Amino acid sequence: MKPDALRGHLDALLLATLDGRQLHGYAIIEALQVRSGGALDLPTGTVYPALRRLETAGLVSSEWSTVGGRQRRTYRLTKAGSRALAAERTAWREFTAAIEGVLGGGPWPAQA
Amino acid sequence: MIDEYVTALDRRLRGPGPLKRDLLAEARDSLDDAASALADAGLDPASAQRRAVADFGPLPVIARDYQSLLALAHSARTLRTVLVVVPLVHVLWELNRRFWMGAWPDGDVPLPGWYLVVARLNDWVAWVVAGLVLVALVGGRVLARRGVGTTTLARLAGGVAVAAVAAPLLGSLSIITATASVDVSRLLELSPPVTLATVAMYAVMVRLAVLARRCLVFSAA
Repeated sequence: MKPDALRGHLDALLLATLDGRQLHGYAIIEALQVRSGGALDLPTGTVYPALRRLETAGLVSSEWSTVGGRQRRTYRLTKAGSRALAAERTAWREFTAAIEGVLGGGPWPAQA
Repeated sequence: MIDEYVTALDRRLRGPGPLKRDLLAEARDSLDDAASALADAGLDPASAQRRAVADFGPLPVIARDYQSLLALAHSARTLRTVLVVVPLVHVLWELNRRFWMGAWPDGDVPLPGWYLVVARLNDWVAWVVAGLVLVALVGGRVLARRGVGTTTLARLAGGVAVAAVAAPLLGSLSIITATASVDVSRLLELSPPVTLATVAMYAVMVRLAVLARRCLVFSAA
């Protein structure tokens, strides 16, 4: 998938990977790749500034902690982040339902 | 390869040292993680490093993202400093002046109406600046949540910081110029502690001006 197509959704995707857990940056990148079946292949270097931007916005918080015997900066959702994720999910479902209704094919209803 | 990439990134970035070190340490960890994952998958160490660097992204693009973070962090810190320091300096200067001089003496020359307007503005400028900076800090966070980019936010914050430092500085310079033009004896008769406090106030304002200028330098880098 093209990085440009992803950019608008990157924030929501990052929030989703952090839903209910605390991860360091590289684990977030791996989670994005695994969940998308390898289709989300964006430059990994863009993920960290995006995470920090979300932190500035108060949607995630981060701290250095020990993961697998090494010091890593790990990220988690804040309460505002969880609310933002819920809103993104609702908006996404409405969007895909609307597009699917038109683009998904299938017979058109008979004209009245 | 990884060393070279991180060093090159380091050279391109300008901004607050602790955040920069933190960002670079995190980038380095990520590159090391990626290289070891690729090596585990069967690549030889040199190719694994090369691939990890290539996956991280082209240096100019990545550096731009990181630079905007550094610029925003510096601007936000400058705004927080201005929020505290500008009113504090104003209050301390006024208290010091009242302690040594009491009420302003009447003087020999009656003060024109416009002079009182300048004096009133100068009394209020610190509080107006503090209020606007607070609005900018809160507004910045709201804009960040609405997905406004870091580069735009950094430029906005830099502009607000420059204005927030320029306003009290101009206010103070105008009251001094106005006093000199109306009745220069008032300036010459200031008690030494008040003159000293004025010099100290200018030293602090110059320091703030340096911080504000860096906001523009970092957000244009």
